Amino acid sequence: MTSESVHPSNIAAELSIDFAGLKLQTPLVLLSGCVGFGEEFTRIEGYSNRDVGAVILKGATLEPRMGNAPHRVYETPSGMLNAIGLQNPGARYVVEHVLPRLPHHETQFWANANGSSLQDYAEVARIFDDSPVTAIEINISCPNVKEGGVHFGNDPVMAARVVEAMRPMTSKPLITKLSPNNADIADTARRVIEAGTDGLSVINTLVGMAVDTEKRKPVIANVSGGLSGPAIKPVALWKVHQTYAVAKQHHIPILGQGGICCAQDALEFAIVGSSAIGIGTGLFYDPLTCKKMLSGISEYLNRHQLETFSSLVGSLQH
Amino acid sequence: MRNTIFEENAEILANVKHPGDQFVMRVRAPKTAAAARPGQFVHLRVSGERPMRRPISIMLTDPEKGTVDLLVKAIGEGTRLLRERKVGETMPMLGPIGRPFDLSDTSKRYVLIGGGVGVPPMIFCAMALRGKAPMVVFAGSEVEFPFALKPSTAILPGVGGNAILGIASLEDRGIASRLASNAGLYGCFEGHVPDLARNYLAALSDDERARCVLLSCGPHPMLHAVARVGREFGIPAYLSLEEHMACGIGGCAGCVVKTIEGGEEKYRRVCVDGPVFESSLLPEFA
Repeated sequence: MTSESVHPSNIAAELSIDFAGLKLQTPLVLLSGCVGFGEEFTRIEGYSNRDVGAVILKGATLEPRMGNAPHRVYETPSGMLNAIGLQNPGARYVVEHVLPRLPHHETQFWANANGSSLQDYAEVARIFDDSPVTAIEINISCPNVKEGGVHFGNDPVMAARVVEAMRPMTSKPLITKLSPNNADIADTARRVIEAGTDGLSVINTLVGMAVDTEKRKPVIANVSGGLSGPAIKPVALWKVHQTYAVAKQHHIPILGQGGICCAQDALEFAIVGSSAIGIGTGLFYDPLTCKKMLSGISEYLNRHQLETFSSLVGSLQH
Repeated sequence: MRNTIFEENAEILANVKHPGDQFVMRVRAPKTAAAARPGQFVHLRVSGERPMRRPISIMLTDPEKGTVDLLVKAIGEGTRLLRERKVGETMPMLGPIGRPFDLSDTSKRYVLIGGGVGVPPMIFCAMALRGKAPMVVFAGSEVEFPFALKPSTAILPGVGGNAILGIASLEDRGIASRLASNAGLYGCFEGHVPDLARNYLAALSDDERARCVLLSCGPHPMLHAVARVGREFGIPAYLSLEEHMACGIGGCAGCVVKTIEGGEEKYRRVCVDGPVFESSLLPEFA
């Protein structure tokens, strides 16, 4: 159902990027948890996988998970809360039944690995190592499950141990998704880099809640949820800026994310140090946003006489 | 089966306000109008202020004119913003979305039960079933109905007393309908709409009743009552559900409902696995 990409042919040369040893056809990456297992957005007329460098699949755990009770989502000013709870059919099912169906010639698909123990994370890495995904994102920052997830991400030492556990299990690039909910994101970044991560996703959602005053109950059944969308963009930019100071010393690329909805947002993230641009909640606002973003990014690069998107990365003057 | 979902910049052609914070909106969205089937919905970006989309059931389409009609009740910030939109303005709209009601078995008698802003999918179903299968429409409201009403000429077993009015657009097309209200509205059955449907079903012969299928959309207490009526008479009930929704196309798993399938509990997505579910799959309604 995907339609042919319509962006001009000269854009490909400007916008393709290298990321953790991978060649991405554009810097745009669709984020885990927003695009199911890669088969939903292709139903929309005008959507094309060829507009994105990678699609990160819904987070997978070793065993299947039902996820949280509803309500799971709620709109907040300039953003939304979610607490899905990692509903997924298990990593083996994804490899055996989902990945064979995906159009790997149209874009790259990355896994998103979760666990409640180091052994779980290692096993999920091993399962995805023998699969067509081209990279594995490590989710040590999911705020919506009771065990694992953010408990690893909020402890820099534990975060590094997750990476160490997964590193020997796969030759694919590992991209560690950092939590904004801890005190020192740069310290966590340094430790996971030393543990062998090939890239960083910055940032996951901020923990928040909403209240139904009529019922005097939390709106989200999980009580707390992850806040995403434009509301968190300034926080995300700052966290990318802090992380980039460490990452650039090690030549580790950052997949910046947090409220990116338009080309202007993407440019801001690139300037503070994002090599790739993650889109999540922005897709819910406009599922066809990628084409518009590429067009806006191209226009900017042309106007500033920049030959590549990558030359913009980390170009903040201060 | 997966249908293509279209993103159209829907132009507002009419926005007619009705009592009880209800409004009927007609938008131009030719691709959705041509493809939509009863039970499906559109996902509307109602305003830049509240950019998350709102799922709204489709009431009727005109494929030739390329229009889609929606009935909405302003109950939250998003629907209040939608109510204030003016004729001539446009809104990004995704549609049509969701698994429609199954109307394929024309040997059945379809009993359509709608409540409040759950009436629209029943109207869409009725128009689609017209001339194909026998049916009756029961609609309930606690505020004045946002439709033209007229005395129904159809004689329905078990339905008498004050229940004389029907929905004019249905009656004009030979579709039998009756109304229910607890608000003392003229010409309506005094009570809940599932009770009106129950009276009708109870008056049918066993053979006629066994052919019936309940299709319903409305508030949760009403859907519970419809599921009970289905169980009481041993006939299937298909319910159209709603839930807080984010992407609206199955990508985020935000809008789930618990099901039991083959003894196993699951969360299904209301947007693309539903919004229509058979009540026996839903532990909340079982």
